[in-house]
Amino acid sequence: MGEALRNFFEHLLVLSNPLWLYYPLCAVAAVVYKATKFDDPRKIARSALHFFLSVTVGMIVLGVVFYVLSRVF
Amino acid sequence: MSAPATIGGSSPIAAFVLAWAIPGAGHAYAGHWGKAALFFGCITGLLLAGMLIGGGTVIIHRDTQGHVELWWMAQMGAGGPTVALTPISEYLAARAGADIYANRFREVGTLYAAVAGFLNVLVMMDAYVKLAYPHRKRDEEEKEKA
Repeated sequence: MGEALRNFFEHLLVLSNPLWLYYPLCAVAAVVYKATKFDDPRKIARSALHFFLSVTVGMIVLGVVFYVLSRVF
Repeated sequence: MSAPATIGGSSPIAAFVLAWAIPGAGHAYAGHWGKAALFFGCITGLLLAGMLIGGGTVIIHRDTQGHVELWWMAQMGAGGPTVALTPISEYLAARAGADIYANRFREVGTLYAAVAGFLNVLVMMDAYVKLAYPHRKRDEEEKEKA
């Protein structure tokens, strides 16, 4: 289990991994989506950051779960 | 159901169409210049980043069998820039031949451009709603405060 997790994060942190390009994509999507919901720039920034972090953490957790499941079964 | 009201001589339909033609133009038309600049920068930036990441071959109208690409339909959400970039992308793809499929970053670039299209649809709807239902957002904010 511990080795599976280490493997997962090692692959994730390789610089040539195209998944690094997920971060700017998610950040732009968060800003545009929240700018359509709010008018106050500070509120847009705060809620976009919240959106970005929740989606990123959620994706990492899902990734870990599926990776561990794929190693177990 | 009554037709949406037009506020200050600004048509919601015109804002919707303008936002499709040039990302952010619908908000500029409605007088929201800050948001217009933000949307223009984000959406055209995402499209151009997609082109750059995918080696310029990500906005292709038809596949090798002549079928319309589903990705292209998503990218067409960002109307004007996609229409302008399609011939450039197709020229570059024709020049590169089958090599374009060997570039693994091309898929990510295609996704960037498609997300730009989807986001612009959201922006188009926001531009429409801003003019058609101007009190909606204020009501929501007041509700949130309460």
